Amino acid sequence: MTASRRLLPWLLLTPALLIFAGLTLYPLGRTLALSLFATDYGFENAKFVGLENFQELWDSRFFRQAVTNTVVFTVVATVLEVAAGLGLALLLNRAFPGRTLVMTLLLAPFVLSTMVVTAIWRAWFHFDLGFLNNLLRAIGLPGVPWLFDPNLALWSIVLVDLWQTAPFAFLIIFAGLRLIPQDVYEAARVDGAGPWRRFRDMTLPLLAPYLFVAALLRSVDSFKLFDKVYAMTGGGPGQATETVSMFVYRQGFRFFDIGLASAAAVVMIVVAGLLAVVYAASLLKGAGR
Amino acid sequence: MIRIIAAFALCALSLIPLLWMVATSLKPPAEYISTSIALWPQDPTLAHYRVLLDSGMWRLGLNSVVVALGTVGLSLLAGLPAAYALARFELPKRFDIVFLGFVLVIKLAPPIALAIPLYQVLRALGLLDTHLGLILANQILALPFAIWMLLGFVRDVPYSFEEAAMLDGAGFVKRLLEIVVPLLMPGLVATAVFVAIMSWNEFLFALLFIQTPSKFTLPAFIATLINEDETLWGRLSAMGLIASLPVLLAVGLVRRGLTREVSVDQH
Repeated sequence: MTASRRLLPWLLLTPALLIFAGLTLYPLGRTLALSLFATDYGFENAKFVGLENFQELWDSRFFRQAVTNTVVFTVVATVLEVAAGLGLALLLNRAFPGRTLVMTLLLAPFVLSTMVVTAIWRAWFHFDLGFLNNLLRAIGLPGVPWLFDPNLALWSIVLVDLWQTAPFAFLIIFAGLRLIPQDVYEAARVDGAGPWRRFRDMTLPLLAPYLFVAALLRSVDSFKLFDKVYAMTGGGPGQATETVSMFVYRQGFRFFDIGLASAAAVVMIVVAGLLAVVYAASLLKGAGR
Repeated sequence: MIRIIAAFALCALSLIPLLWMVATSLKPPAEYISTSIALWPQDPTLAHYRVLLDSGMWRLGLNSVVVALGTVGLSLLAGLPAAYALARFELPKRFDIVFLGFVLVIKLAPPIALAIPLYQVLRALGLLDTHLGLILANQILALPFAIWMLLGFVRDVPYSFEEAAMLDGAGFVKRLLEIVVPLLMPGLVATAVFVAIMSWNEFLFALLFIQTPSKFTLPAFIATLINEDETLWGRLSAMGLIASLPVLLAVGLVRRGLTREVSVDQH
C-alpha cells in the first residue's frame, strides 16, 4: 500500500514528464549547446566556437534593430492595451441591459486566429484600395502609407495588436474590479471624495495587482511577436518591423545559420525566464495574501 | 446613459473589421477592388465560397480538426493525471513547485526559441510533415496550459467525496473515473475548448513543421493566401470567415471559462 502510494503520483506524472522531457527540456538543452557551435544543422561537422555566436549577435546591426523593435513594440503595445483594458473595465463595471452581449462581442477579436486578423488588417492597410485609406479619402484626407513607411509600419502593427488583445487585458482587469468591496466606496463617499479622488486613491491602488498581471502577460506575449510581422510586412520595410522571433526564424529556417539562430534563441529564453520569475513571484505573493 | 451608449459604440467599432470580412466574402471583385467605403455588398455572390469548396479546402479544415482533436486528447490525457498528482499528493522536496515553475517558464517561453531543435527531434522521429508531429509540437503550448487550468479545477473537487468512496473500498482508478472525472466535467470541457481554440489558431509550428500544402492547417493556408496575391480579398475573407466560425460559436460557451482562466492565473 505505502509503496504503491508513493509510486502513484510519479506514475500519474509520467506522461506529462515524458512530453516535457522530449519536447522542451531536450530542445532547450540542445539550443543551449548549439549556440556554442558554428553549424548549419546539428552537431555533425559542427565547429565549437565558444561565445563567438553571441559576439556576432552583439555586433550585428540587424539583431540590435530586431531587439530595439521588439522592446519598443512590447512597451508601447502593453501600455496601450492595459490602458484600453482598464477603460473598458471601468465602462462595463456598472450593470446595464445588454452588458453580457457587449462583453461577449468585445471578446470576438481576441479568439480569432492571428492569421485571420492579419488577413483583415493587411487588406485594410492597403494604400490604394484599403478600407482605412478609403475612409480617410472620403473625408478629404490623404491616404496613409500604413505599412510602407518605415517610421509607421511598427505602429500599424501595434494598432492591430491593440484591437486583437485589449479584450484580454480587459478580462483580467474586469475580474479584479469585481473583487473590490463596494463598502470601501461608501466610506469614501461619506468622507466627500469625488469620482476622480475615489478612482485615484481607491480603485487604482486596489486594482494595481491586476494591472500588473495584465501588463506582464501582455508583455510576455508581445515579446514573442511573429505571426503578424511574418504575414503583414515580412520584417520590412527595410528592417523597420524585424523582431527577435523573425530574426531567429530567418537565421534558423532561411539562412541555416543554426549556431547564430540558437544564440538568439538563448537570449529570448533568458528574457522569458526572467519574466517567468517576476510572474511566479507575483503569483506567490498573491497566494500569501 | 452616456456610459451605455459609449459601451455599445465601442463594441460596434471593434466589430467593423469582422463585419468587413463577412461583407467582403460576399462581394464580387469589382466591388472590393474599389475606393468605395460601402460595407454591404450591392450584388452579393457566393462565388468565393464555391471556389474554396471546389479547390478542396474542406480537406484543410479537416486537417485543422484532426490536429485540434489530437492536441486536445493528448493534452488532457497527460494533463489530467499530472494535475491530479500535483493537487492530491505530497511530492518530495517541493518537486511540485519546481515542476509548476518549469511549466510556467515553458508557458511563457517564445515557441520560436525551441523550434530549431524541435525540428530536428521531429525529423529524427520521422514525424516531420505529419499531423502527429504537429500534435506533439502543440503540446508545448497546450500541456502547460491544460495542467495549470486543470490544477485549479481538481483542487475544487472536495477530497471528502473520494475519502467516502475509499471507505467503500473503491480503488484508485474507480475513484478517478467514477467520482473525479464526472465532477470535473465542466472544467474538462472548458479546458478542452481552450486547447482546441489554441490549436485551431496555431500558426508558427504549422508553418515550420508541415511542408506539404495538402497537409496544411487553416492558418498556414491563410498565410499562403495572404502572400499569394495582394488583393484576393473575397476569397481570403471567405476563408477567414470559415476558419473563424467554429471559434466564434465557441466564444459564448467559453466566456465564463475565460474569466475562470484569469482567476487560475491569479492563484
